[in-house]
Amino acid sequence: MKRREFLAAGCACGTLLAGAAAGAEWQMPARLARPELATEEGGLWAMMDRAEVQLRRSPFTLRDPKLHDYVQDIACRLGAAHCPDIRVYLVQTPLFNANMAPNGMMQVWTGLMLRVDNEAQLAAVIGHEIGHYLARHTLEHLRDVKSRSAFGQFLGLFGAAGAVGQLALLASAFAYSRDQEREADQIGVVLMRGAGYDPAEAGKVWDNLLLEIQAKPGGDPSRNPMFATHPSEEERRETLLRVAATAPGGVNNEDAWQQQTAPFRRQWLKDEVKRGQHEESLALLTRLIVHSPTRPEYFYARGEVYRSRAGDKDLDSALADYQSAIGLGGEPPETHRGLGLIQRQRMHAAEAKESFRRYLDAMPDAPDGPLIKSYLELLAQ
Amino acid sequence: MKRALLALPILLLAGCAAVTKIAPGETTVGERLVVKLDGAWNQINVQNMRPAQLWTMEGIYVDQFRLYSGIKDGQAIHPTGGNASQKSFNFRSNMQPDEIAGLFEGMLTRDGSRFTLARLEPVAFGGLPGFRLEYALIRKADNVQLSGVGYFAVSRGELFAILYMAPRLAFFQRHVGQVEQIARSAQVKE
Repeated sequence: MKRREFLAAGCACGTLLAGAAAGAEWQMPARLARPELATEEGGLWAMMDRAEVQLRRSPFTLRDPKLHDYVQDIACRLGAAHCPDIRVYLVQTPLFNANMAPNGMMQVWTGLMLRVDNEAQLAAVIGHEIGHYLARHTLEHLRDVKSRSAFGQFLGLFGAAGAVGQLALLASAFAYSRDQEREADQIGVVLMRGAGYDPAEAGKVWDNLLLEIQAKPGGDPSRNPMFATHPSEEERRETLLRVAATAPGGVNNEDAWQQQTAPFRRQWLKDEVKRGQHEESLALLTRLIVHSPTRPEYFYARGEVYRSRAGDKDLDSALADYQSAIGLGGEPPETHRGLGLIQRQRMHAAEAKESFRRYLDAMPDAPDGPLIKSYLELLAQ
Repeated sequence: MKRALLALPILLLAGCAAVTKIAPGETTVGERLVVKLDGAWNQINVQNMRPAQLWTMEGIYVDQFRLYSGIKDGQAIHPTGGNASQKSFNFRSNMQPDEIAGLFEGMLTRDGSRFTLARLEPVAFGGLPGFRLEYALIRKADNVQLSGVGYFAVSRGELFAILYMAPRLAFFQRHVGQVEQIARSAQVKE
């Protein structure tokens, strides 16, 4: 599920949540049997099997057994009886994305994991993807594509990219319809409840994503045709409140989520900064700082974004964020490098030297160490 | 990058991208960057790499040697193809070395490829104070693991740079010596 698809699906959120609140019944199907290879569904599975072999070997796959098992367990609790058929792969790509292929291969991208605040929010996205899988939407769409004589073109695209690229292409080629997104969301809410998660967290994922979209230049959702029918803030809030009132409760497991992802968060933040999408990153990081104001890595990351954008007063904002990170303690060593680079630019030689020394003391083998050492030599002259 | 990788061979096959031999000897890139070549290179003339000149030994799927000469303040190092939603990569004449390295890193990873800085050090380039960059890149389009090296310097507010990358197994080692020699020979004309 790419971010835009999730947002598009979110447009239908009010309707589906209202339906769920009204007690719309959905029965979980029996486990999906592997289709015969000679059938079109069998061919689709075979294609996905080949992609999965590549994904398993891909250098983009995050191979940490503990984190993998943790996310796999979330997917299993949502998928219940379908657990043995769901195989989660964590993919190191700093974008909001998750998807599930018809053969049970599920990708969860690190950009999504950075953006969710708790287990329940991740469960909302994973549950939605399992919803597509259980409803066999990919097969429906394959038939639709074939009926439009676009299948050859699709296959041509599919053969040209690597594993992760293939799945991204697949997602775009198999863009689900609005009705399919509604159905997947509805199933996702049912799965969340079944696993004991608070479904209201699904709406928060949507709210958080909208913050980033709105921050992007030209990203006003009201001017985007895709959002033309999305419910107003008030309507959405009322719908979520109504759902919470009809079926209150459920856990979000925020503490467990934060603990499990803590060892990876700095790398995910660095990847986010490197995207160079300053406005989106600032919206994301400001939200994370408001949510968790004692985490120095968020201040460091936002400082890096400000320093990279280097607009009017951005360097002042960067300095303030670096100082906040240092004030909190346990800051990433690169905080001192960022600080030193700005101090050097502003001819504050003594402060710059001190910052660079602290950086090199903490990271003596830093890849940019030779450059920083040359700055120190120049500052000493 | 993925689109460029897909489009370039198609353009070549269709005869839309001219290939020019760059003969050994002294050659001028743009107006002010002069380099001396020990061996011949192939220059691929494609619009979607400008303002870089694109050279290759083995073919652009394998190795790419990008040369930038006289990039002006505010000028993009890579075209956005008229797509306003795409991020632009504009050089600023007051950029510090780490910012220039970050600019090129952003350009190389705009398709989701994964960049790892291996070394950033001060080195003269073109007869000017400059810096040298070593990096590893995992190409998103095909998961190929590349090694890369770049040299950069700024003269009169204009950026001069060369950037070479190739699969780390075999091809990078095969040609990086020539690239290093070209970097040592480079002169930026005043």
